[in-house]
Amino acid sequence: MMKTSYSMPPGFLLRFFRWYCHPKLVDHIEGDLLEVYGERLKQIGKVKANIKFAVDVLLLFRPGIIRPGKKYTSLNHSDMFANYIKVALRIIRRNKGYSFINISGLAVGLAAAILIMLWVQNEVSFDKFHTKADRIYKMFSRDYYNGSTDVWPNTPSLMGPELKQSYGEVEEFSRFRNVFFLVRTGEHRFNNRGAFADPAFLNMFNFEMLEGNHKALSNDFGIVLSESMAVKLFGKTSCLGETVLVNDGDNFAVTGVLKTLPHNTDFQFEYLLPWNYMTHLGWNRFQDWTQTNANTFVLLKEGTSGEAFQSKVQKIVQHHVQQGDGSTREIIAHPLTKVHLYSQDENGELVRGRIETVRLFSIIAAVIMLIASINFVNLSTARSEKRAQEVGVRKVVGAQRGSLIVQFICESIVLVIFAFVIALVLVQLSLRAFNTIVNTPLQIDFSNPQYWLYALIVIVATGLLAGSYPAFYLSSSRPVQVLKGIFKNMNALITPRKVLVVTQFTFAIVLSICAIMVRQQIQFAMNRDAGYERPGVVYNFLQGEIPAHFESIKNELLSNGAAVSVTRTFSPVTNIWDVSNGYSWQGSTEEDKNSKIFLQFGSDADFVKTFGVTITQGRDIDINTFSSDTAAVLLNESAVEIMRMKNPVGEVIKNESGEVLHVVGVVKDFIVGSPYQKVGPMMIKGWRNRYGSLHFRLNPELSQADALQKAETVFKKYNPEYPFEYFFAEDYYNMKFGNEKQTGTLASLFAGLAIFISCLGLFGLAAYVAENRTKEIGIRKVLGASTPGIIAMISKDFIRLVLVAIVISVPISFYIVNNWLQSFNYRVPIGVSVFLITAITAVLISLMTVGLQAVRAAVANPVKSLRSE
Amino acid sequence: MKKYQLGEFEEIVILTIGVLYKGAYGVAIKNEIETRLSRKVSMGAMHSALVRLEDKGYIKSYDGEVTNERMGRPKKYFQITALGKKAMEYAKDTRNELWRAIPKVALELKIA
Repeated sequence: MMKTSYSMPPGFLLRFFRWYCHPKLVDHIEGDLLEVYGERLKQIGKVKANIKFAVDVLLLFRPGIIRPGKKYTSLNHSDMFANYIKVALRIIRRNKGYSFINISGLAVGLAAAILIMLWVQNEVSFDKFHTKADRIYKMFSRDYYNGSTDVWPNTPSLMGPELKQSYGEVEEFSRFRNVFFLVRTGEHRFNNRGAFADPAFLNMFNFEMLEGNHKALSNDFGIVLSESMAVKLFGKTSCLGETVLVNDGDNFAVTGVLKTLPHNTDFQFEYLLPWNYMTHLGWNRFQDWTQTNANTFVLLKEGTSGEAFQSKVQKIVQHHVQQGDGSTREIIAHPLTKVHLYSQDENGELVRGRIETVRLFSIIAAVIMLIASINFVNLSTARSEKRAQEVGVRKVVGAQRGSLIVQFICESIVLVIFAFVIALVLVQLSLRAFNTIVNTPLQIDFSNPQYWLYALIVIVATGLLAGSYPAFYLSSSRPVQVLKGIFKNMNALITPRKVLVVTQFTFAIVLSICAIMVRQQIQFAMNRDAGYERPGVVYNFLQGEIPAHFESIKNELLSNGAAVSVTRTFSPVTNIWDVSNGYSWQGSTEEDKNSKIFLQFGSDADFVKTFGVTITQGRDIDINTFSSDTAAVLLNESAVEIMRMKNPVGEVIKNESGEVLHVVGVVKDFIVGSPYQKVGPMMIKGWRNRYGSLHFRLNPELSQADALQKAETVFKKYNPEYPFEYFFAEDYYNMKFGNEKQTGTLASLFAGLAIFISCLGLFGLAAYVAENRTKEIGIRKVLGASTPGIIAMISKDFIRLVLVAIVISVPISFYIVNNWLQSFNYRVPIGVSVFLITAITAVLISLMTVGLQAVRAAVANPVKSLRSE
Repeated sequence: MKKYQLGEFEEIVILTIGVLYKGAYGVAIKNEIETRLSRKVSMGAMHSALVRLEDKGYIKSYDGEVTNERMGRPKKYFQITALGKKAMEYAKDTRNELWRAIPKVALELKIA
C-alpha cells in the first residue's frame, strides 16, 4: 500500500524550527516546509533536499517568525507565586509574636512527629532487608493449655529436616538456637551469646560477610564470627583459617566473618556454630517431636503460597505424636516480614505484638500534628480582621477566590517550611536522647531522596491541613463590607475556633491521662510483692568447671563470707526455661493431665534461704541431707490451688514417664515471669541432672563490692578459664518493665509536648483577644472595673473551653486506659484522682497562660488605651 | 506620511495571492512567484512577508484542508481584505501617476 514513503527531513532541524517558531505559525509553515521537501525529494534526491531544507529553516529564522521571548513564557503563575511568597514573608516579619507562636508550635509538633516516624519506620523495616524475606517463614507452635491457647516461636528440632525432605515447596530450611559458650584464642576469652544454625542460614538471610562465603557453616568445625568478635579475638577481621577454642574443648576454624549485624534485625549472636556441633556435644540425643527447642525458618520456592504451605504443615507434629503432650499441637508458618511486629497471639492467631505500640505512636504523632495545625488555624482566623483589608483590596482589583485560597495555602506552606527546618534542627539536637529512650540508633539519612520525598509530602500535607480552613475562611469575606469596615464578628456560642480549642485540649488531656496511667500501672507492678527478696541475689551460669566443683565453690563462698547461702537451680530466678504437663496425682482427672501445665524450677538445697521466699507448709528441699529429695518437689500456692489439694505435703505426683515426685512443702507464689500477670502454678524439683545456674545471696554485712570480690577469687580458683560473670536478679527483674517504661516515658514526653503546643496556641489567642479589647478594657476601668474583675472577664472564656475539653476527655481517656489495662492481669485500679489531678493541672496551666495576657491588659493605664482616636 | 505601506516583495506576494484567488497558500504562492517571475523565493522571506501583510491587515487567513504531502499539517489559505485591495490600488495608482509624469522624451531616449 505504502507506495510513496513520506520520509521526514532531519529531526533536529525540525525540532529547531518548532522551538523558535511562533506557536501561531508553526503548524502551517511546517506543513509548507514538508510539502516542499517532499517535492524536492522526488526531484533532486535526499541529500540535496536536506540541504535545501536546512537553508529554508535557517532563512525562516527571522523576526516575525521567531516566537516572542517573554510574553509567552510568563503564561504560568510564577510571578503571582513570587508575590504570594513576598507577602507571606512580610506578614511573618511584621507579626513577630504570632509568627513565633505559629512556627515554634509547628516546629515542635513536626519534630515530635519526625522522631516518631523515624522510630516507626525502623520498627517496620525489621528483617525486611533480606532479599528473600518475602519467601521466608518462621515456624511457631500452637497448643492449648490451662484453658487457653498458647503460641510460641519454638518448634521441634526434628521438624526442619523433615520439612525439606517431604515438602516440595521448601527450598531451604535453617534452625536457629542461641547459646552461651566460652570462645577463646590464646589469652583472649569471651563468654558471649552465639547461636547454632544450619548450613543454609547464611544463604537464606542476607547478613553481609566481610570474609568467607555462604558455605561457611557447611564445615562441621567451622565458626562464623561477628566483626566485633573477630576484632576482640584477633585484632582484625581478616582471620579466615585461624583457630578458636569453643566451650573449652573443641577447636574451630574461622570460616567466615560477618559485618556487624544491622540494628533492624531480631537475630542476635556474636558467632555462629554449625548445628551439627550440638549432635557432637550430645545435646540432641533425646530429641522427639514433643520438645520445642529450636527456631525453624524455611525458605519456600518461588511462586508457592504461604497459606497453602501453612495448611499442609499445620498437623505435622500431630502425625508424629499420637497421644499426650504434643498431640494437639499445631504449627504456624508466619511470614518473616511480620515476625517482628506480630509475634503475640490472640486466640491462637499471631495478630498482636509490637504493632500495637507502633500504631499507638503513629496515632500520637498524628494527634500532635493536628494540635499544632489547630494553633495555626486559630491564630490565622483570629487575625483575619487585619488581613481582611488586604483580601478586600485584592478582590477589588480582580483576584478570584481560587487565587486567594492558593495565596493563603502558599503562606501556610512557607510557614511550614520554616517550621520544618527548625524541626530538623530540633530533631538533630534531641535524637541522641531519644535514641537512648527507644534504645535504637536512629538517624536521618539526608542523602536518601526518599526522605526528602517524605519531607515534601509532610510539608505540603501540613500546609494544606493548617492552611485550608483559614484560606477558605479569609477568602470568603465580601470586599464591599470589608472595605467599609464591617466584618463578621465571631461571638456565637459555638464557633469553629472554640471547637478547635476544645479539640486541641481534649487531645492533650487524653494524652496526659493516658501517660499518667501508664506510669501508675508500671509503679503499681513495681511495688508488687515479688514474693522473694531480690536485693542481694546474684546468679551465674554453670559453665566450665563450675558444675564439677560446685560443692567446693559453695563451701568456700560460705566460709570466706562472700555469701550467706548458695543454691543450684534449673534456670535464673527471673526466667523459667521449661514448662511441662502430663502430671497426675490423687484425685486428678484425665483432663488435668493434658491441660494443667506447670512451670518447672529446681533447686538442690537452701532454696528458701537464698531467695527469701516464704514457706507455708512442710520444709525446703535438701538433697544433701535427704538423699531421697532428688524426687522431692515444692509446690507454689497456685499449683496447690489448681491441683485442688487439701494437704499437699506428703502427696505423690506422677508424670507420664513414670517419674514419682513427693511433695515436701509449699511456698508462697513468687514472680518468675511477667510482673503484670498472675503467677502460674510451679513445681520446684530436686532433680539432680538439670541444674543450669547458681544463685547465691551476698553477705549483707559486707559491702556489695567486697562480697563480689571475695566471690570472684573463689570462681577464679575453680573455674579459671572463664571470666567471672555475675547477674543481679534485681536488675533482670527490673528489665521486665522495660517495654512499658519506654512506652510510659515516651507517652509522658509527647503528652507534655501536646500540652505545650496547646498552651502556645491559647497564649496567642489570649494575646489577640486582649489586644482587641484594649479600648473596652480601658472604658471598663474608667467606669470603675477592678483589675481582678477584668482578669476574670478575659480568662473566663478560655477556661470555659478548657473545662468543656476536660468533660469530653474524661470518658474518652477512661475508655482507652481501661482497654489498655485489660491486657494486664495485675492492674492498677483507675482512680478518680488521676482525672482530678489532670483536670486541675490543665485548668491551672491554661489559667497561667491566659492570665499572663489578661493581667497585662488589665493593669494597662486606660489613659493610654483611650487616648488614640 | 504614507497612507499605505506596501513593500516591493510584499506587493508581489499580495498580487500573487490575488492571482491564485481561492488556492493561495504558502507553497502555491511560492511556486506561482517562482514560475511567473523566475526568481527564487525563500520560505523565510515569503512567510515573513505574509506575517507582515497580515499584521497590517491587508490579508486574512483561514485554515484549510489537511493533505498527505503535508503529513497532517493544515494548509493556511490567504485572502485579500478590502484594506489590502485599497493598498494594492494605491500602489498601482501612485506608480501609474509616476509613469504618466515621466516626459516622453526621457523614455524614448533611453530606448533609442
